Amino acid sequence: MSAFEYEPQERLLKALAEQLKIPLLQIARQSELAAIDPSVSFRSVGLTADMAIRLIDSYILGLQVQGQPALELEPVSVASMLQDVAHQLTPFAKQHELTLEVSLSGRYEPVMAQKAHLEAAYMALGHSMIEAQSGEGQSNVLLAAHRSAYGIVAGVFGASDTISADVYRRARALYGRARQSAPGMSAQTTAGVFIADSLLQSMQAPLRIAHHHKMSGLAATLQPSNQLQLI
Amino acid sequence: MKVLLIEPHRPLAQTYAAWLRTLGCQVSVAKSAQSAIHVADEDVPDIIVLELQMAKHNGVEFLYEFRSYSEWREVPIVLHTMIPADSLHLNEQQLRLLGIAAYLYKPTTTLMVLARTIKEIVGEEKIENPDNYDRHHTLAQGLSGS
Repeated sequence: MSAFEYEPQERLLKALAEQLKIPLLQIARQSELAAIDPSVSFRSVGLTADMAIRLIDSYILGLQVQGQPALELEPVSVASMLQDVAHQLTPFAKQHELTLEVSLSGRYEPVMAQKAHLEAAYMALGHSMIEAQSGEGQSNVLLAAHRSAYGIVAGVFGASDTISADVYRRARALYGRARQSAPGMSAQTTAGVFIADSLLQSMQAPLRIAHHHKMSGLAATLQPSNQLQLI
Repeated sequence: MKVLLIEPHRPLAQTYAAWLRTLGCQVSVAKSAQSAIHVADEDVPDIIVLELQMAKHNGVEFLYEFRSYSEWREVPIVLHTMIPADSLHLNEQQLRLLGIAAYLYKPTTTLMVLARTIKEIVGEEKIENPDNYDRHHTLAQGLSGS
């Protein structure tokens, strides 16, 4: 494999390293504070470590996918996947003083995906969006799905001005090259987005800019399982 | 002493603010460059601890805007940032012109070093509980075995 072919992976690894600096720093300083002040809780340290491990796992899953010819897809319920992800991300959102909500407009048939990869993608995306919103002084992040003419659009949404199609395009082009690839996303929040993108691309559902009610964010269009629709 | 902490990451901001409060500092936290201007206006800080890497307007933009107001030209600013010194793109002269009192690379700066830096810049007399710093310093050294 040439150096050129390695480049996107190296960039993703660099972005991951940047994003992981924050939880490691948080753990180091919180531990230092706890050594001085015994009333400091270690709960948030555990949560920070857990979330960082999940991000690394998602990254590894993304790497494994790239070595495989095609993923074996199975019917997956979008609604229950989003609920599961929200359940796991809620303590992290609270740590950032954000409210995480799930918004499902209607009932959906299962989509063709790989459950573990889909969940890992939305965990990584949610992680990044929570961190991006945290600095913005916004109060909530939405895990949401709605139907479109092309399939079921499922994504993570936040404040309307955090991200735009142009910003995302530039971020995609710049990620790993510039320290801060987009004004709405600092260097510490981009890795999760691109890990999610690589996982979703392996299921032919790359991330795109999307809107849900008055919020904007990143979402993938997932294909409903036609077979199960007939049952 | 009033400290304005400009830190976009909430959990980190809480940790640093908690530490500075144990030293008797009054800490205001701003999570963006825009809100930092408003907070500075209301709280009139004695010193600012600034992360340069923020969404939207970055810390350098904040620095130029902040220094453009005559009443804020003398407030010392500590750069406490994730950006390594060699990637700062600000030379020594620019740092001096912007009134940067110290640069600290955040990943390797302990709470003790941050406190010591603030103490050296503002002077011990401005810290309400300087004894707390010394007590914590001794305690932490004991815990780390140094």
